[in-house]
Amino acid sequence: MIKIDKLSKFYGKKQVLNSIDLEFGKGKIYGIVGENGAGKTTLFRCISGLENYKGTISSEYTKLKDHLGLLLTEPFLFPKITGEEYIQLLTNARQKKLVNIEDRNIFDLPLKKYASTYSTGMKKKLALTAILLQENNVFILDEPFNGVDIQSNLVITEIIKRLKKLEKTVIISSHIFSTLAETCDEIYLMKNGEIIRKVTQIDFDNLENEMKEFTIRNQIDKLDLK
Amino acid sequence: MIDFGIPLLIGYVLSPFIFIFLSSYLFEKTEFANYIYVLFALSFVSRLSETNRNVFLKSIFGKQYKILRILENFIYCLPFTLFLVYQKQFVFSGILNLCITTVTLFNYNKTTNIVIPTPFSRKPFEFTVGFRKTFFVFPIAYFLTYISISVGNFNLGIFSMLAIGFTCLSYYSKMEDEYFVWNYNLSSKEFLIEKTRTCLIFFTILILPIIIALSISFFKEIDVLILSLLLCYPYLITIIFIKYSFFPNEMHLSQGILIVLSFIFPPILLIFIPFFYSKSIKKLNSILND
Repeated sequence: MIKIDKLSKFYGKKQVLNSIDLEFGKGKIYGIVGENGAGKTTLFRCISGLENYKGTISSEYTKLKDHLGLLLTEPFLFPKITGEEYIQLLTNARQKKLVNIEDRNIFDLPLKKYASTYSTGMKKKLALTAILLQENNVFILDEPFNGVDIQSNLVITEIIKRLKKLEKTVIISSHIFSTLAETCDEIYLMKNGEIIRKVTQIDFDNLENEMKEFTIRNQIDKLDLK
Repeated sequence: MIDFGIPLLIGYVLSPFIFIFLSSYLFEKTEFANYIYVLFALSFVSRLSETNRNVFLKSIFGKQYKILRILENFIYCLPFTLFLVYQKQFVFSGILNLCITTVTLFNYNKTTNIVIPTPFSRKPFEFTVGFRKTFFVFPIAYFLTYISISVGNFNLGIFSMLAIGFTCLSYYSKMEDEYFVWNYNLSSKEFLIEKTRTCLIFFTILILPIIIALSISFFKEIDVLILSLLLCYPYLITIIFIKYSFFPNEMHLSQGILIVLSFIFPPILLIFIPFFYSKSIKKLNSILND
């Protein structure tokens, strides 16, 4: 269980997170949606301990970050490091012994090649593989489906479902609502650094329609397409 | 220069004087200055060989790309060429210019993507990345050791050993993203010990062939050899501690000055090591949530 109480974050005078209260339980999948700049990534960085913040984040773990796999929107990669070495680096950091890495290469990545030459989707799949092999209990996946091909999208969706069965806590942000609706138990809607709504599975369809209506409105009419 | 924390105008005014001073100092201090100078100039010019930059230039300039790159390298190397000519090192000046012309003929897009095998794959990243970037240094250093043994010049052997030491120091000059430090489930102290242990073991692996060869060939000088080796270790430890003292920021000129100061007066390391150790522990505590 992760409990967030009155979490606020300021960059200088600008408030990017405003008194957020959330709870994430074991064996559940949570979605965080919101437009660009809503504060999703900052929230994830605060939970991970990569940012200072006001408020409290507590969990059953002495150090939450040691049990947390964080998939960044754009994974950082070193030049001159192969995919295999990237995975090795992240598993070494968690003191996990890595054996038969090729057998666990579910995305068929060219692990012997430099990771910096990978496409956006491949980088994401590499980073996801690495955090899965770290054997974490909590996963924060920031835009896991971005730039990833349709086949891998299906694999990632299945992985997330499998993590749920294994009683892991998974928090996902995504702009692809259908994948969230398929996997999540609860979805939180963020706007201007605040959680403005919590939606459970039975209301997912309504939320999607409301979001479409709210976002699109009459914007497309302005184009006067003919 | 801005990267080093120096105002641009002052940097431009000072840099020619510093360059001439350091070059003269090098040629005064060692008979192998011409070798060091050419190697240094080549590593300086290699900055222009960055893959993305070259791919971009190639796409913009097409057929004129190679001429542009040769011109760039000549201009970048001009101060070194002029100083070598001033020192009457015409052969080395010629070699330098031949080398910088040759490097422009490589297809960077293909060559930079070739995965160079490294013995350090199991423990990324400093030595894995560093070895691949500076792999050419090691055959040169081992060859210099061979020459030092064949001509009976112990100092040249020590120089080749120190060249590897300096190369390994450079592996710690670039700061990694905080994500890679954050991932460690170690305390700050354990993290630093782990980084230091890996560095010292890998450095020893690289330097071992030279140590063995020199200790057999110059057995009488073994005390100097061991002293030189033992001196490399505290420098490597210091650079790691300095690096993480300023984490996640890059090292600036002030840290560079401290390192240079320690080369001039090595006993100062006795102050630097504990000082930067405690400073890096404080910095790492915030990221490792200690």
